[in-house]
Amino acid sequence: MGFDYSSLFAFILFGLTIGVVYGIVALGISLIYSGLDIVHFAHGEIYMFGAFFGLVFSNQWGLPYPVAFVLAMLCAAVLGMIIERVFYRRLTKGGGGYTVAGMGMIICGFGMSIVLMNIAFLIWGAGAEPFHVDLGMPFQIGDITLPKSYALTAVFAVTLMTVLHYFLKRTKIGLAIRAVAANKDIAYLMGINVPLMISLIFGLACGLAAGAGVLIGPMQSVQVEMGYLMLMKAFAAAVVGGFGSLPGAIAGGILVGITENLGAAYISPNHKDIYAFLLLILVLMFKPSGLFGVVARVKA
Amino acid sequence: MNAVASLLEYPSSYIEKLGNIHRILPWIMAFVVLLPLPHILETTLNEYYVYLANRICIFIMLCVGLNIVKGFCGQVTVGHVGLYAIGAVTSALISLHLGWSFWISLPLGVFAAGLAGVIVGLPSVRLEGAYLALATLGLGESVRIMIAVTPFFGSSTGLISIPSPAIGGFVFDTYRSYYYLVMTAALIGIYLSFSILRSATGRAFMAVREDTIAAAVHGINVTKYKLLAFVISALYAGAAGGLFAHMPPGYIHHNNFTIIEMVTLLLMVVLGGIGHIWGGVIGAIIVTIIYDQTLEFYFYQPLLFGLSMVLIVLFMPRGIGGMIDRYLVTKRFMAIQEGKSNGAS
Repeated sequence: MGFDYSSLFAFILFGLTIGVVYGIVALGISLIYSGLDIVHFAHGEIYMFGAFFGLVFSNQWGLPYPVAFVLAMLCAAVLGMIIERVFYRRLTKGGGGYTVAGMGMIICGFGMSIVLMNIAFLIWGAGAEPFHVDLGMPFQIGDITLPKSYALTAVFAVTLMTVLHYFLKRTKIGLAIRAVAANKDIAYLMGINVPLMISLIFGLACGLAAGAGVLIGPMQSVQVEMGYLMLMKAFAAAVVGGFGSLPGAIAGGILVGITENLGAAYISPNHKDIYAFLLLILVLMFKPSGLFGVVARVKA
Repeated sequence: MNAVASLLEYPSSYIEKLGNIHRILPWIMAFVVLLPLPHILETTLNEYYVYLANRICIFIMLCVGLNIVKGFCGQVTVGHVGLYAIGAVTSALISLHLGWSFWISLPLGVFAAGLAGVIVGLPSVRLEGAYLALATLGLGESVRIMIAVTPFFGSSTGLISIPSPAIGGFVFDTYRSYYYLVMTAALIGIYLSFSILRSATGRAFMAVREDTIAAAVHGINVTKYKLLAFVISALYAGAAGGLFAHMPPGYIHHNNFTIIEMVTLLLMVVLGGIGHIWGGVIGAIIVTIIYDQTLEFYFYQPLLFGLSMVLIVLFMPRGIGGMIDRYLVTKRFMAIQEGKSNGAS
């Protein structure tokens, strides 16, 4: 019995596409962390909301998929900004590290994620909703059948990342965002509207999460509880790749996706959701700065 | 407010006097006062409320344990339910498969939870704040998924007919008899947590919470104390889990250890005030009762809990414990002021 290389290749390919999506969410988490020094606990729920927005726009309103994609991103960005302005701003203004006072942000985010999850539950119900996108016949590469949604995901994800990279590195607003991430006080002195930039960072990150949600919709179904696992996997991706770096988050996401798919295929499919976490623990134990060696900022 | 205060005046001064004789006396007093509670509940209401009292006691243990790592040591963990689950499942499996008595299986379950506490605590050496929170969340959820998908741990059916504990011929197989067990355990738990807070270990925890670097400069082994805090709180969680598993229906299911339970637990601690032991106890009592009374609005319950958590953090960051502290401080201040004015005139 020979080892089936083509199925191995297929698993890696599927892992890669899923992993890119994890990477996009991880990117949002990294952005918020570098911009606001907090981890947004409700990010998984924003992702879930994004998927539902996409579902509504695409399936109920009958908009074409790319339009639904962009609209869902915009809506989620606005939602994220509102949440940040109304709830988180009070806490981040209070400042403080992660002492007992700073613990408020984590608890607040945790509570917010539960609230968002239940709002979605009350609107759309608990069942898994299929996300139909008619893309035509799947591709045939050798003897692997690759659904078009996977290819589409890869294309959208790469486009998204290129745009983001260009935005952060080449535009003036991107420069301002990087300045705010580096040092808020000095950014203030340089005449940057820091509160606005923080809102923008939040909106950007939430938009990315929503984009990931719309991308993953056609591959899996859309359901209320999807956000919570996604948060953990994206977080694992961010840590594995090294906090903060854009390529690191994507590479971490891809690694998590491939590990998960291979583990599900060759070890046990039931424990699929645990592998990402195992990888996270391993990386934390042996190379805490992440695979790409970006030194994690230590805030004592 | 004043009426309540004057009502509390006499017992509190009495407790103080008792505490001056020996510091364990108020606890024995509390034990005696709480003994007839199930009898009262059963005669005035019904047996269900005794069950509720048992649940409250178990949640008090969880809360007190969570307060040690979160309130004293300042490490954020949201995977506490995972440790609770480990304690429960270990104790249940040992007594089911090996047939050992509760008095051996419970310590073993507590021990297993303690070991898991080391694993949960390990990231705390490397990770800070919110990242630690996410790592612990992942671990807690992994434990639940493990239980949910592995038949040996009672995947979808749960573990049934877990034997009740017994001393000699006396079997703790009703809610009422079990109450004595969990109430004693909860009281011991609260007492021990006060002891820890008073000891050098507790002071080291607080030093780590206030400023890690300053603590290290003062010769505190930060890694050791962080891990210790995790292990102690894991021991509490394991004990609570074991007690929960052996509670009369003798049934545990992975649905007992979901994120909703974690939210409930977190809400208790937040409502009570992080780092305030009595606050945590009060929070546990209030939230368990509210949880029970709102069971019919099942759909809206997590929404209510999550929203109240957010609002408490925003508008009442020190919780009930903070209010109590402020009241006590004001009272002391007033007393000093009065003494001064009396002395002056």
